[in-house]
Amino acid sequence: MCYVLRVCIVVLLGLWFADSRADEPDPAAHAYARRLAVGVCGPCHGPHGSSVQPKFPHLAAQNANYLIAQLKNFRGQTRGDPDAISYMWGMAGPLTDETIDALAAYYSSQKAVSSRVADATELARGREIYANGVPSDGVPACAACHGPDGHGLGDFPRLAGQHSQYVLKQLSSFKSNMRNVAVMHGVAQTLRVTQMRAVAAYVESLE
Amino acid sequence: MQSASATAFRWWVAFGALFIFMRPAAAVPSFARQTGMACEACHTVFPELTHFGRLFKANGYILDNVKQVQDVSAKKEQLLELAGIPPLSIMLEISYTQLKHPLPDLANVDVPGEAQNGTVGFPQQFSLFYAGKIAPHVGAFIQATYDNAGGTFSIDNTDLRFADMLVLPDDHSLIYGVSLNNNPTVQDLWNSTPAFGFPYTTSNALVSPLAATQIDGSLAQDVAGLTAYVFWNESLYAEVGGYRSAKQGAANSLTGAAGPLDGTTSNVISGVSPYWRLAYEHNWGSHSIEAGLYGLDVKLLPGGSPSAPYPLVGPYNRFKDIAEDIQYQYIADEHLVTVTGTRIHESMNLAGSFASGAVANPSNNLTTTRMWVTYYYRRRIGATAGFFQTTGSSDPTLYPAAASGAAGVITSANGLPTTRGWIAEADYLPWLNTKLSLQYTGYTRFNGGSSNYDGVGRSASANNTLFLLLWFAY
Repeated sequence: MCYVLRVCIVVLLGLWFADSRADEPDPAAHAYARRLAVGVCGPCHGPHGSSVQPKFPHLAAQNANYLIAQLKNFRGQTRGDPDAISYMWGMAGPLTDETIDALAAYYSSQKAVSSRVADATELARGREIYANGVPSDGVPACAACHGPDGHGLGDFPRLAGQHSQYVLKQLSSFKSNMRNVAVMHGVAQTLRVTQMRAVAAYVESLE
Repeated sequence: MQSASATAFRWWVAFGALFIFMRPAAAVPSFARQTGMACEACHTVFPELTHFGRLFKANGYILDNVKQVQDVSAKKEQLLELAGIPPLSIMLEISYTQLKHPLPDLANVDVPGEAQNGTVGFPQQFSLFYAGKIAPHVGAFIQATYDNAGGTFSIDNTDLRFADMLVLPDDHSLIYGVSLNNNPTVQDLWNSTPAFGFPYTTSNALVSPLAATQIDGSLAQDVAGLTAYVFWNESLYAEVGGYRSAKQGAANSLTGAAGPLDGTTSNVISGVSPYWRLAYEHNWGSHSIEAGLYGLDVKLLPGGSPSAPYPLVGPYNRFKDIAEDIQYQYIADEHLVTVTGTRIHESMNLAGSFASGAVANPSNNLTTTRMWVTYYYRRRIGATAGFFQTTGSSDPTLYPAAASGAAGVITSANGLPTTRGWIAEADYLPWLNTKLSLQYTGYTRFNGGSSNYDGVGRSASANNTLFLLLWFAY
């Protein structure tokens, strides 16, 4: 319950600051961001933020505040999961705050990717964890922060349609603390791999 | 004159063939320094490129995430943009080579003996690179290599590029650029074409077969090519251009200057040799597949040598190379699989060499096929199995038998160019810029035969080669 309480506090804080979203970038910054998104980010994340390779996350329709926070974490080298180190520390290194804001605005305005169908049993198990958590293990409901539809709330990221492989890898990184996010470490540390797989498959199926 | 020209032509054929098996390939940490990204962004395991690596190359090697020294005019025009850290790298290869059967020792033809078996290359090859951005939209991959066989430094694979990108109204990309390079296919984006194909490195102490097609390394570092390309939506690639001779170490016999080329030089391109490339890549999930065509049409004036010049006039030899290639990649964190193949068809119209008696037939043909499968586990431990074959028309003058009393080895008893075999390689990478390889090349046919292929009793399998390599780049 301790985790549930902490999560609720973070949710409220996130909602409180949700309206502090970055200002809309000027046209020149937007054009530059579009060029970066298509030409530099595009080979991995797709020109519209819809990635082909499940190693790389979809960015289309992602919450702008979350994108801004992550890009700054990459730039500051404070996000430590393996692919962040291998790819994004270098890529985000020279980004200015203005470019980060413009990239976030670009991706958040893109159309969300369509969902993928998974095994029905696994989806049902994933839906249960997503909606209600695993109370016996102190795992809170994912929906509390990420929204019942997986579209994210405030600073919390959109999960709907995300590659299950990517979500699974992030949960593992939270669990091992390679990606050091206290709230998610608390959530993931008691999740079993089968539960992670189920919830990852479920969020990928959301639209 | 005729015999000198004929000899020059044969040596050129043999020398060209050497490049099939001595293909210097590289992946350079200066790109990692420049981009701030680890090797795995651009490579499965060096030098094989990932989709992102292909895009990085197509974009001119210019993606740059390091601090820049800049200059701008009063009108805010960009005058200079220099990386704070120059994109330099070194590469070192140390090797040990063992042939299944030693070569004859020619030091004293009256005392038959065997050359020492077991060659240490320290280094086999040492390269210096400038690989990265030069200016906005301009990048370079420049390699200078010390080769222990020649004991000299010389220019190696080089690719200078201008590239830019358009974002189309539908948010698809259109990359366009120009490459100035010295080896047909060195500018290509896939590892299925000759310059960066498997085997990425082989021993320079092995026995090379006589026959090779022109596009398969025969012109490497002896030509300059200017090609223009477009890459639409990261999937459809088209390129056209032309190559002209840019001989290294050749001098004009009259002035002693570096040109113009004259009859003391062999195999000089007449005019410009057109090169073309068409490829389509499709990516889905962790999979990527490419299929394509490429080709080269070369007209070579036979020429001569400093000791036996032959005028650069008269009929020329024409080589039309058309090739197909395919590459499949599965790239995940734990398992990586690549299946690659190419087949090169060459039709030769040898009017120039036929006139001088350097070939028996006015026309010949060659077909080279290579396929290989690579598997890596976590980019640490891997293995590759490959098949190679060259077949073609018989020409006992172009692929000559051993002269009476001569040693053979690089001769053909039946005048056929057929060489067939397989390569197995095991690799271990303790770090991503260090590779330990154990490679075995086995021949079932060599220069036309399996047993007594050279007419002096040597079997194809005698040339089987065990090759141990330590390869690192920094």
